[in-house]
Amino acid sequence: MKHFLLAAVLLVVCVVCGLPSTSTPITRELPTVNVPKADRQHNWIGSQREGSCVHASMISLLRWQGRYGTASYWRQKYENGEWPDDLAAKFNKEGIRYAYVTNGDVKFLEWACNTRRGCGITVMGGAHMVCLVYLDAKWAAVLDNNNVEKFIWVPRETLIAEWKASYGWAVTPIYTPAAPLSR
Amino acid sequence: MNRLLVSLLCLLVFCVFVPLCIADAVNGVLAEERVVNLPQDSGKWYISVVGDVNDPRYNEVVGWFTTNPNLKKLKDQVHFCQVRTGTAIYNERYASNVEGLPTVRMQKPDGVVVYEAAGESIPMSAAGLNGALAGAVNEAQGIRPILPWRREMERRCPGPCPAPNPDPAPMPDPEPQPIDNGGGLPEVDPVESPVEWAWLSVLCLVGFVGGASACYGRQLYQKLYPPVK
Repeated sequence: MKHFLLAAVLLVVCVVCGLPSTSTPITRELPTVNVPKADRQHNWIGSQREGSCVHASMISLLRWQGRYGTASYWRQKYENGEWPDDLAAKFNKEGIRYAYVTNGDVKFLEWACNTRRGCGITVMGGAHMVCLVYLDAKWAAVLDNNNVEKFIWVPRETLIAEWKASYGWAVTPIYTPAAPLSR
Repeated sequence: MNRLLVSLLCLLVFCVFVPLCIADAVNGVLAEERVVNLPQDSGKWYISVVGDVNDPRYNEVVGWFTTNPNLKKLKDQVHFCQVRTGTAIYNERYASNVEGLPTVRMQKPDGVVVYEAAGESIPMSAAGLNGALAGAVNEAQGIRPILPWRREMERRCPGPCPAPNPDPAPMPDPEPQPIDNGGGLPEVDPVESPVEWAWLSVLCLVGFVGGASACYGRQLYQKLYPPVK
């Protein structure tokens, strides 16, 4: 009986030792566009005493998409308030790949989050832009450049209502998003 | 005559206003077109090459994805991320989970790692890395690699000398990848085998003919020279 127990214990030890090492598997990453804190651009006051929320949002997204050089350049060159057409003209001038809508098409937001790129969206009646970093059937998360310490979670429909009531402008650069955390 | 003039006038008005309306709609459509043409690449896999820009080995591995046709083709099918040490992306998302530098990591869209090699574990040639990635993709599909021994053999075989040290000057943003709707399993070209397998059938035929001849010859010999009993 003792031999049998010893053999059983040895067998269990062998099986446990033979298992592949699983280093704390990371479950689903939330939000999908999990911009590192150091890469979150805080809003700043421009030369015309205007906030630069649109530029701050684009800089955060450019960094998330690995375009650190472009982000630094943008931070140095552009500031103050922005309009869709003007921003598009600047992107064209600088040769930056981007996409935007001004018609409140929710498909754009879904695309931006499904492809892990995120996008800037207008809120507060069009007076402010934040980064949309997550969107699913129930919830949305935004990164506000006035407080980059935390993500703000809101019900999906609440966010969409806010966005549509704010001119429905959404814009994002189109480059390679950061890879998901390893699992 | 008056009716004709009125008709012409109506036609003129119609011709002037319809294009204006369409043009107005086109403004909206411009935005719609962007939505339609957006790259639907959420199913793409990821390849990250992580390292120090001043490390020649890192630059060499990154360079393989430009100079080696198979890896270049693969790069165009996946999200290719060049992750440099010192960046926030590296500090928060890689520093704690890479075993060494440089690191090559291939992930599915959900983050599952299908291949990872770091430091000296990275194959020494571009073809070797391509073979390793091909093997990983096959394994992820549940396909048994056709010639698993070949990969080991290739790792042992001396390859060409590494390229000269690239310029360690600060690098600008990498060339952006082409926009496409790619996604799903990347196609990795298998490593080409140096053995001409067509010769196998010839060898079989020669062996068969040789064997049959020997057998017939022995029978003939026994017939001509029967054993003494």
